[in-house]
Amino acid sequence: MKNKQKVAEDLAETIPADSNHEEQEQEAQIKAKRRNPEEAGGDQLVYHPVKLSRSDLYRPPSAEELNQLKEAESLFHCSLLKMQMEELLKEVALSERKKQQIDSFIQTVTKLLQTVPDSPEFEVSDLSWLSSAVKVPFLLVPKTKKGKFHMTPPASVDLIGSYPLGTCIKPHIMVDLAVTIPADVLHPKDILNQRYPRKRALYLSGLAQHLTSSSDIGTMRYSCLHGNRLRPVLLLAPTGKDFSSFTVRIHVCPPPGFFKPNRFHPQKNNIRTEWYTGLSTSQAGTCEPPTPHYNSSVLGDLLPRAHLQFLSAISSQCSAFADGVALLKVWVRQRELNQGTGCFNGFLSSMLLAYLLTTHRISNTMTAYQLLRNSLNFLASTDLTVNGISLARDPDSTAPSLAEFHSAFQVVFVDPSGHLNMCADMTTCTYRQLQHEASVSMQFWDNPTVDAFHSLLMTPKPMIRTSDHVFQLCDLVKLQSGCKKLNLLNELMDHCGDYVQTMLPYILSLLQQGLGQRVCLLTHSRSPDPEWSLDSEAPKYKAQPPVSFGLLLRPDLAMSVLERGPAADSPKAAEFRKLWGSRSELRRFQDGAITEAVLWEAETMYQKRLVPRQIITHLLQLHAAIPESCVRYVAAMVDDVITTGSEVPSTGEEESLLVVQSYDDLSRKLWRQEGLPLTITSVQGAHPALRYTQVFPPLPLKLDYSFFEREKTSRSLVLKDSKPCPAYITPITVICHMEGSGKWPHDRIAIRHIRAAFHIRLAELIKKHHNYTCRPCPTHLDVWKDGLVFRIQVAYHREPQVLRESVNAEGLLIVRDNEEAQALEMATVHKPQLTSTLHGLQQQHSCFGAVCRLAKRWLGAQLFSEDITEDTADLLVASLFLQPAPFTPPGSPQVGFLRFLHLLSSFDWRNNPLIVNLNNQLTGKDTLSLTLTHTHTPLYPFLKDFFSKTSLAHQLLFIASPAEQSESHWFGLLKKFQMLQRVVMVAAESLKVLEQQLMDSSQMQDVRVVMRPPLDAYDVLIHLNPKQVPLLSQAVDPPAVTFSRGVITGSVAQSGGALPVIDYNPVSLYLVELREAFGDLALFFCDPYGGTVIAVLWKPKAFIPLPFKTSQVSARRMEVTGEEVTMVPNVEAILEDFQIMGKGLVKSVEPRIEKWSF
Amino acid sequence: MTSGVKVHTKMAPCKKKHASSQSCVLPGGFTVLSLQFSSDSVSQHKLYVKEHRVRAEKSSRRPLDRTLFVLNIPPYCSQDVVRELFSQFGTVQSVELGDHPGSLMESGPKLSRFFRPAEKQGFKVGYIVFQNSTSIAAAKSHPHDIPLVVCTDQRPVLTGVQKWIKQYTESLIQVDKLQKIVDSFMEEYDKKKEEEAEQQRKEAEQQQEDEEGWVKVTRGHKGTKARPHSEAANQRTLQKEMRKKKRKELMNFYTWQHRNTQKEHIAELRKKFEEDKQRIALLRGQRKFRPY
Repeated sequence: MKNKQKVAEDLAETIPADSNHEEQEQEAQIKAKRRNPEEAGGDQLVYHPVKLSRSDLYRPPSAEELNQLKEAESLFHCSLLKMQMEELLKEVALSERKKQQIDSFIQTVTKLLQTVPDSPEFEVSDLSWLSSAVKVPFLLVPKTKKGKFHMTPPASVDLIGSYPLGTCIKPHIMVDLAVTIPADVLHPKDILNQRYPRKRALYLSGLAQHLTSSSDIGTMRYSCLHGNRLRPVLLLAPTGKDFSSFTVRIHVCPPPGFFKPNRFHPQKNNIRTEWYTGLSTSQAGTCEPPTPHYNSSVLGDLLPRAHLQFLSAISSQCSAFADGVALLKVWVRQRELNQGTGCFNGFLSSMLLAYLLTTHRISNTMTAYQLLRNSLNFLASTDLTVNGISLARDPDSTAPSLAEFHSAFQVVFVDPSGHLNMCADMTTCTYRQLQHEASVSMQFWDNPTVDAFHSLLMTPKPMIRTSDHVFQLCDLVKLQSGCKKLNLLNELMDHCGDYVQTMLPYILSLLQQGLGQRVCLLTHSRSPDPEWSLDSEAPKYKAQPPVSFGLLLRPDLAMSVLERGPAADSPKAAEFRKLWGSRSELRRFQDGAITEAVLWEAETMYQKRLVPRQIITHLLQLHAAIPESCVRYVAAMVDDVITTGSEVPSTGEEESLLVVQSYDDLSRKLWRQEGLPLTITSVQGAHPALRYTQVFPPLPLKLDYSFFEREKTSRSLVLKDSKPCPAYITPITVICHMEGSGKWPHDRIAIRHIRAAFHIRLAELIKKHHNYTCRPCPTHLDVWKDGLVFRIQVAYHREPQVLRESVNAEGLLIVRDNEEAQALEMATVHKPQLTSTLHGLQQQHSCFGAVCRLAKRWLGAQLFSEDITEDTADLLVASLFLQPAPFTPPGSPQVGFLRFLHLLSSFDWRNNPLIVNLNNQLTGKDTLSLTLTHTHTPLYPFLKDFFSKTSLAHQLLFIASPAEQSESHWFGLLKKFQMLQRVVMVAAESLKVLEQQLMDSSQMQDVRVVMRPPLDAYDVLIHLNPKQVPLLSQAVDPPAVTFSRGVITGSVAQSGGALPVIDYNPVSLYLVELREAFGDLALFFCDPYGGTVIAVLWKPKAFIPLPFKTSQVSARRMEVTGEEVTMVPNVEAILEDFQIMGKGLVKSVEPRIEKWSF
Repeated sequence: MTSGVKVHTKMAPCKKKHASSQSCVLPGGFTVLSLQFSSDSVSQHKLYVKEHRVRAEKSSRRPLDRTLFVLNIPPYCSQDVVRELFSQFGTVQSVELGDHPGSLMESGPKLSRFFRPAEKQGFKVGYIVFQNSTSIAAAKSHPHDIPLVVCTDQRPVLTGVQKWIKQYTESLIQVDKLQKIVDSFMEEYDKKKEEEAEQQRKEAEQQQEDEEGWVKVTRGHKGTKARPHSEAANQRTLQKEMRKKKRKELMNFYTWQHRNTQKEHIAELRKKFEEDKQRIALLRGQRKFRPY
């Protein structure tokens, strides 16, 4: 009860749950509420560990229980995973009630279908019998000449597919209903020249016309099966409130056995060129080209009933079959592989399991968990593009061989009849993606430090968040000309005019060839099934959404600017020249070889990352006649916000490198320094700039001395009152540990003095030997070097210990941890260590720094940088690289940033600690126990316990969960649950907006939208005078006006010169003052990177009238109601204080009184 | 100014009739004084003052009859400003500002300003010691609608950018000065250490046997122990004992012991199972199993 109260109290505090936000966000909120009803008000769900009584724990076990416990222990990491999977299955399974609903609806539909009236016979081309409200769902080009058609009641109506099999899962429940055309409507020769598909479409429109008259059916729409326009289907939705809960899909099929399967051999032709082109070919003797895709699409109609029978037989033998298929379907769906042309649909999932069962790779007694695992293992290890598999036990002699299938299709998986390739439309790339996903899943499945369940089944993997680079082909009509250029008439005929499907394999192989070693995986989106209403014509092919391609880059090779080809005289040279066209030129290399080569223009990392773009546009233009304007390259669009440099765009890698080089030089010089009383034992950087993660890395500056005044005695520049604030110079922290010695005093104040003496001595030596301008202070030593300022802090490793020790009244030496010691240890031990570890991570993953910078830029812009410190943000990003499952480590800043937002918005902060396993020091057992302990005990005692037991303290990152909000630890945890909630919400919204913008070319293209914080949630806005904001140029939307900041261009002097103004930022000084004075009344938010607004939020608690007490009178005034005297904040005076304290900096204070609610 | 008055009429419970020109007294014995930054400020802060009265205070630095206790001093009022503000009631002997009301600030060795920890710039409480006790009454009877003005032409108080520029300039330290401070401090520190060592030596001497084998036992005063026992050392000894004990114990020797171990194992598994079940129930409650 107490706990609840506390939570409720805290809810009232700080951010008022964002009641007045943009509409979009409100929508998101409502959605969130719907999804997590507990989030809003249900904080009752706090974990209460229930203890088993002694008798429960120690009673003798039954054999069954023992088995269960043993199974959980041996099969799963823990029984948790097993239970999680069971829960998931419960979530996706259909309820009994739903099944009844479906059954009754099916009955009505079946009855209705049986009563289709007969119609007289008419020519196929004659559509006059249809009412104008119903169109034929078929692109009727070219025209059919022969054939008769008439409507008549179906021969039979049967359920097929996943619903009768029991493998149907939520959401988007799809119930398939096969309607058999009576044999007398068809003619055995109808398979030729699309006559059968057209009759089928006519029959479907006839059914639709009949069904429109019924009131039992809700909306009706046309669609087509897996995007194949030859196979239209009719979608029926029930009426009433459950109209969207399930859909009935009506297929029209020929009577079983009506067509002979051998007519559909992949090497036979069923569409005549003469008919298709409309030109009479004079050479009658020429062989017609085979039409494998057309054949398999017709054949697919003949077999669904046989497939259902086959699968039912399998399913009845294996009890976990349905559950296994359901899990596999969820897995596939999360990877977006289950939709569109050539997808890995639910039917294929069932068939795959059936194959594994019939070949005894899995046994009938296995559990759903094992079925999933084995099928993924099979996918990962078997290449169906080379070694196809077949379900046919003893195919008849007319069935084609596997080799014949391989020559016609890219991926081969033959059905039980032996005639149909079920993966006819699948491209090699789709299968490779499937394989890749399976092998990634298998890798992390066994890793005990990863939450396998979440990565495997719960995390969606949309392309934009999975692939490092994404590009889209927009104007799909242009592909038609590509078809012509590549001379693909036969293939076009096979695909019945679908030029996108025709071109796709060619584009893919071209790109694969061109990108070569640069990518490890090339994926593409499958066009989704179009849906259209009954009264509109079937949509044209060009109406499809753009086709997206995803590249998974190989980080070490992707950025190479050189494409080195074969030697000029080798026979392969011609091939190389043909591929690259005019870009290929002869070059002589340092090793003396003269080879063909292509050189791409790129100087900075930013440009190098975009080399694949140059390659893609060049190749598509050259070989497929696709102009550059059609290619929408979605990479590095977000990078804009951290780009610097006007001539050559760069995202700061080069600048960071300069800083690091300068630091390395300094550290070498420090090491070599002689003449100090004690030797230096280590020099460590402790600043984000030294690990490539500073949002805007410090630039070497050359100062305009006339801009400043000079202080004669210390030879340093000081500020002039009249000028704008000078450029901000970041001091780059360097920790310099001195050797331990008995001569160090054992007293905190004496240590401080000795340190000051060290600083003075070090300054003298540096000045003497290297002529760097230095400024020693008691706490640090500033060194002006290469236009940068390094702040050296001398540290003594025993100092934290000295701070912790004290002598109590009895003369006992006690060691007590305190904040001062912790802060010191953080600054001198943990931060340098973190910096070097993250620096190492940057060496492994070249885009780590850029992701950090984007993430921190976003946090800053959204005013969160006070709550999520730089170190925390860096660690959060590090976790994306260290535990990428189910992804691979990000290969571009953009994808890393998207995943960062996703991590913030979707991680279950409430129930799990986020553990950043730096240097892989935590083992699985540790992680597991951490996860469990985290939820089972209050955070703090456990942490203390854990930290004292192990030395892993700094290896962990916990973002405090609401139950333990009071404790912050290590790298700045989110103390306030409300703050966390707001971060989560804003991150989710940003992610949504950003992904939509990136993937949808029709939207307004301004990625900076996600960097502009909604300010209407705040109570007071303090507008700052841009003249006094030194980092103005780093703002998200830099203003047009610029101020002279005392910097001139030109080469930077390496040493000497007067000491500049260091670390002077009026905005941060002002914020410190505000927080110290009014911290208990309000929260202050500001974008540290050039923000010109300080947003103030009153703490609701602060406005509760308090009784007069000497401890709570600050900034308050009396209010008298009757006899009672209470204290309330003196708002008027406070607002004026904002002005007074920031005189010269504050432009205006804008109170938003209409929002105040006290 | 007008707004200030409005507030006052509303809140003076004590002397409503002639509130406008009289001082205002609060239940706790506090009197309200108004304070505004400059003469053209529109709003005012309220200072709450009363005579310093503490039962157990023995400090001579805050004589009871001459010390005024002030609450809610705004951050831009430094010690000097406060001294000048209150000198209109009589000569001020000393001013002491702090974050909380309470006893004297730590009286450690006097440190130079470079080594003092940074001061918080929030609202302060102050103890103002006048030379004459009459000044206190004068301060308390000051009419509350005549505000004290912090920043005047004669006494400009810097805030904002000007203040930060001044702060920056002051933060520049001359190296030789700093060196001098360090040297003098260390000299003193060494001297102190030497004295301590001397004292210890003397004590040790006293504890030695004299010729006849007698040892003089003295009580010694507080804190003279050379090396106090440490808590960690005590803990270590305890742990050592525990380990020793444990080593002597026989594990899984008798059948009943073996049975017990197995029982423990099953109990452990059960416990884990139960915990997992609860965790799942919790997650289920939060709808954490919806894959999409």
